[in-house]
Amino acid sequence: MNLFGVMDISASALKAERQRAEVVASNMANAETTRTPEGGPYRRHHIVFSTAKPSFPQALESRMGAASGIGGVEVREVVPDSAPPLRRYEPSHPDADADGYVSYPAINPVEEMVDLMGAVRSYELNSSAVTASKQMIQQSLEILR
Amino acid sequence: MSFIDTPTLSLLQRYLDLTAFRQGLVASNVANVDTPGYRTRDVDFQAELQRAQEAGPQVEEVPGLVERPDGNNVSLDREGLLLAQTQLQFRVGVQLARVEFRRLLTAINEGRQG
Repeated sequence: MNLFGVMDISASALKAERQRAEVVASNMANAETTRTPEGGPYRRHHIVFSTAKPSFPQALESRMGAASGIGGVEVREVVPDSAPPLRRYEPSHPDADADGYVSYPAINPVEEMVDLMGAVRSYELNSSAVTASKQMIQQSLEILR
Repeated sequence: MSFIDTPTLSLLQRYLDLTAFRQGLVASNVANVDTPGYRTRDVDFQAELQRAQEAGPQVEEVPGLVERPDGNNVSLDREGLLLAQTQLQFRVGVQLARVEFRRLLTAINEGRQG
C-alpha cells in the first residue's frame, strides 16, 4: 500500500459521510411532507455503511503476499424506516383520511441533528487523515533534496 | 551490500514502509468509524520492525477497546492520536534518511578533493 492508496481510503469515507449528511438533510427537509410519488407521507431514510470491497491494486497486493484486509468504506444502501407514520387530527387538511387524521413522517429533528453532528465530526477526522497523508507524501519528496 | 545500501538505510526503508502501512491502517479504521460491526485493527510496530520482512506485516485486532452497541469499536481519540504520531514518525524517518544520504555525499566530495 502506498501513500496515495491511503488517501483513497480516506476519500471513500469523505464521500460516505457526505452522503450521510445528504440523507439527514433530506429527512429534515421532508419532516412535514405528506405526499410522495410512492403515495403516503415521506418515510425517514437510514444510510447503511459497510467496509468496501478491496480495489484492484489492493486485491493484487494481497495476492502477492502483502498484508491485506484494509480498505475504505462504502454506502451499501439507503433504506426507509419501518416506523408507522405519526397521525395528527386535522380534519380540514386536504390529505386527511375519513376520520380526519393526517399521516406525517415519524421524524424527530433532534435525532436528525445528532446524526448530522456525527457525520460532520467523522468528516473532519477523515479530512485530517487526508492532510496527514498529504504531508507524508510531501515529506518523502524531501529525501530527494 | 553495496556502498550506497548501508544497514542504516535499509532499516530506515523498513521503518518508512511500516509507518506508511500503519497510516493506511489508521485511515482504514477512521474511514470505518460508522460501519456497524467493524473492529479496530493495528500492527505491533516494534515487533514488525524487528521481524525480517519477507511477508507483509501481521494485522491484528486491537484488544481492550470499548465496543458500541452496533459492534463497532473504533475510538476517535485513539485514531486521531495515532494519525499524528505516525505522521511524526514518518518525518523522523525522512530526516534520518536525509542525514544518511548527506553523509554519503560528504564522503564522495571529500574524496574528490584529496
